[in-house]
Amino acid sequence: MKYFILIISGTIFLASCVKDDFIDDRVDPVLRISNAPDTIAIDTLYQFQYTYRNNIGIEEEIDVNWSSSNDAIFSIDQNGLCTPQGIGSAYVKIDAVTNELVDSALVHIGNETVIPTTERTGSLNTTTFYTLEGDFVLREDGDNLILEFAENYEASSSLPGLYVYLTNNPNTTSGAYEIGAVSVFSGEHSYSISGVDINEYDYILYFCAPFNVKVGDGQFEN
Amino acid sequence: MDNLKIRLMKKTLIILFTLGVTQMAFAGGWVKSKGTGYYKLYQWWTVFDQHYTDQGLIDPNVTMGLYNTSLYAEHGLSDRITLQANIPLFSRNIMNNLVSSNTGNILAEGDALNSIGDIDLGFKYGFNQSKTPIAVTLMLGLPTGNELGGIMENLQTGDGEFNQILRFDISRSFQIKKLNTYFNAYSGFNNRSEGFSDEFRYGFELGSSFNKYSGNVKVFAVESLKNGDSTIGANSTSVFANNSEFSAVAIEGAYAVTDKFGLSLGFSYAFRGEIIAAAPSYSIGVFFDTSK
Repeated sequence: MKYFILIISGTIFLASCVKDDFIDDRVDPVLRISNAPDTIAIDTLYQFQYTYRNNIGIEEEIDVNWSSSNDAIFSIDQNGLCTPQGIGSAYVKIDAVTNELVDSALVHIGNETVIPTTERTGSLNTTTFYTLEGDFVLREDGDNLILEFAENYEASSSLPGLYVYLTNNPNTTSGAYEIGAVSVFSGEHSYSISGVDINEYDYILYFCAPFNVKVGDGQFEN
Repeated sequence: MDNLKIRLMKKTLIILFTLGVTQMAFAGGWVKSKGTGYYKLYQWWTVFDQHYTDQGLIDPNVTMGLYNTSLYAEHGLSDRITLQANIPLFSRNIMNNLVSSNTGNILAEGDALNSIGDIDLGFKYGFNQSKTPIAVTLMLGLPTGNELGGIMENLQTGDGEFNQILRFDISRSFQIKKLNTYFNAYSGFNNRSEGFSDEFRYGFELGSSFNKYSGNVKVFAVESLKNGDSTIGANSTSVFANNSEFSAVAIEGAYAVTDKFGLSLGFSYAFRGEIIAAAPSYSIGVFFDTSK
């Protein structure tokens, strides 16, 4: 009898150790011109910048090539420094040396530099059987960002510890920016976000924190 | 971290399964004779990586486990009154690490909590101990466990709630050839504190014994009255715990090694539920029955 108890107790003790759950957190790598202007003043230089995120959404530096579609409008060196040559429009293009990722933007050369006001939009989708839907807009408000959810927003109030994040990997909260606990479950509402660039993240993520479970997400469409 | 939400969710999961065991153990309209008793040391556990949603559908979650080493006792204080107790002497709640399959990095660290669990303590009064015994039980759920443990304070070995269950049992014994058989039905009311919804409970049990072997099958359910404190929701906490429900089936078998000592094995599974783990629970134990 005592051996039976010892064997059972030992087996259960070993089985009760904290183990690993594996998740596939792969995302498509992204290469993007991160500060494309609408117009560059003809008498100024402009420094283009890029963002590359790897297959788990982590930002990295890689070797890239910059090019102009029309050197008569502007030229660009391999560090992304743009030199206007004449009034007009041309595409600036960046391509990764080590893979096939490319990005491009139409740039005008004019009398003054114009940086467009960015407003990013998207829609939430549930990835579970819990309700999560609605459109959202991320816009700049001085030094802060405002994340606004539209009237068609709806989230299940049944979930414990539902949190909303900005992230570049919608499979995990690792590396994500925590906006806060969800306290509004339907209708219009907004969050004020500080210390984040408007192009820094590509997804809104809803996550059940106590169970480390993704509830749904929404990718910025622009 | 919104601890109250976490607490509510965990409470639901833990409580329902604990009650599953409790209901298994406390079944029956019979009471013990004065001075006799049934005592069982058992291990109960469940490990789940999915749960029933608020719509009764199944969604995944990070793997969690609850392991209870408990002492269960029924002791006859008189020929009419039996003291009942279920004491989780050691309760362990775990949550697995979440690991990237691409990099092998830990994305979210797991955790574990060890402590005593919530104690159930009650008295059963037997009205009629003939072939159709009737009994009423008052069971108190004492918040002796840890309701807020672990690094993230999202692990629990108790619920922090004092609840009171009033339960009626009616049983019937009969013979099927050489099998000593019984049937039991019960209904009960769980008055919950801390703003949680009260619950109506009911269940049916069919058991039989032959020589050294005995076994039973139970079907039982918990239906929420959904009358919880609405201020819980107003304070941005989840209200689903007030509305959790389930129906479950349990099978238990026992083998009497000697006249008084024996082994027991149990299995339970909620085949319908809302906001509870969608995984089986198991139990194994040794018992000592002085009434034989």
